[in-house]
Amino acid sequence: MSQDLAEVYRTTYRALVRFLYRKVWDAERAEDLAQEAFARAVVHKPDNARGWLFIVAANMARDDARRAARERRHLTLLTAEPQASEPAADDALHVENERTRVRAALEQLTPRDREVLLLWDSGVSYEAIAAQTGLARGAIGTTLARARRRLVEAYEAGQRGEHVARG
Amino acid sequence: MSHVDDGMLHAYLDGELSPAEVQGVDAHLAQCSDCGRRLAEERALIARAAELLALAAPPDRELPPFRAGDVKPPTRLWWQVRLPLAWAATIALALGIGTYLGRDTEPPRRAETTTDAAAAKPRTPAEPVRGLTRRAARTPPAAQPAPPPRARADNLPRPRPEPLVSQADTAAAYAYAERVADSVAGITRRKASQDEHGRWQKGDAISIDSARRVLGADPLVVPGVPIEAFYRGRSIGYSGVVIVEQALDSTTMIEVINARSAPAVLDEVVVTGAQPVRSRPAEAAPPAAPRPAPSPGAGLFREVRGPLSSDSLAALRRLLRPLRP
Repeated sequence: MSQDLAEVYRTTYRALVRFLYRKVWDAERAEDLAQEAFARAVVHKPDNARGWLFIVAANMARDDARRAARERRHLTLLTAEPQASEPAADDALHVENERTRVRAALEQLTPRDREVLLLWDSGVSYEAIAAQTGLARGAIGTTLARARRRLVEAYEAGQRGEHVARG
Repeated sequence: MSHVDDGMLHAYLDGELSPAEVQGVDAHLAQCSDCGRRLAEERALIARAAELLALAAPPDRELPPFRAGDVKPPTRLWWQVRLPLAWAATIALALGIGTYLGRDTEPPRRAETTTDAAAAKPRTPAEPVRGLTRRAARTPPAAQPAPPPRARADNLPRPRPEPLVSQADTAAAYAYAERVADSVAGITRRKASQDEHGRWQKGDAISIDSARRVLGADPLVVPGVPIEAFYRGRSIGYSGVVIVEQALDSTTMIEVINARSAPAVLDEVVVTGAQPVRSRPAEAAPPAAPRPAPSPGAGLFREVRGPLSSDSLAALRRLLRPLRP
């Protein structure tokens, strides 16, 4: 059993961190949560460990976001990001700006579209996405099509807005 | 074949169609240049979206070693995460119990001035069972129409719209009512709760969205306590059952059972819950059911189970609130 889980860990850990990161936007926190999800899997020994992990991770990220909001910590988190706090190299600054823009674009999606997109991008199959979100399997493609289109549109609209503001 | 819709194209490009579906799409694409063009567009869209998401990826780090040997979860991590909430839950419980204990010494004193001398005997919190049955047994039937006013108030179900913080009083009052029922028929109840345990079969883990769909309403949870997972449940007589696992602290897991049922079945459940009260000796008035309190999440049968005393479980049950999106 733990052998199986070790294998799941090897193949899923990074995907889980990736998934969590887009929810908590803090790399350390995402890794902590992923570790915790696996620790729970060790205890619970779920049948479908991979699917179970993403469900638990989604729940944990939601709890985490609630808690963060409650403690008004998200403000501190945002300002703690290296963003403008230190004179970063141009490259690093650029990467950071891009990340912020994508994040803003993602946040314009509906929660369901975003969830489906993030799950897919973390390597979860249509089948498992359907099981996790409660959507019909046949609706995943449509949802993804819409989510992708809106992400790109929101990102580009954000960029245009910025250029207009600058120009 | 009609044109291929966007969803189908994306599923096709994601490699998520069955072989038969792929064949169908291929056949259509071979003869429809419009769809061929759209396929190229959607492919570009998918690539662009993936590119953007990659910009928002966490820094790539070394895979930390897997603690495969650990039987227990890493406690340090759990504490870091859970401690504040565990404290909050403890304090909330302590508040409720404290208020309850504080009030508990008062009603007998008040009763002393009215009719019931037996009840005037100060009850220690440790023996509410005997104190209560004694009072009930010794009270002459004539005294029954005028019970101590608070006890009556406590037995009445009433809506509780107040927010969590100001709930200590109400929670205590409910804990008291619950305790009356509990202590009078402790044994019956314990047996019932054993049956109860076997009654709610836990199924697959599901998402919050599925839970909402199963129940047709927001599931009830204990607010402020981290949710571990939602499970589909099964039980005869209920059309939808969702079991919410919540971690009170690093070692204590409670399960909140949400069950959607037809009104008739719900009545039956309430009667079962009220049975202990009805069996109280010398009960002149019709039995007041201490359980219903149907205001939040009406129509849902709720139950909390876990490795806690029935008092604590009752207190938690009183705190249940719908989990808003």
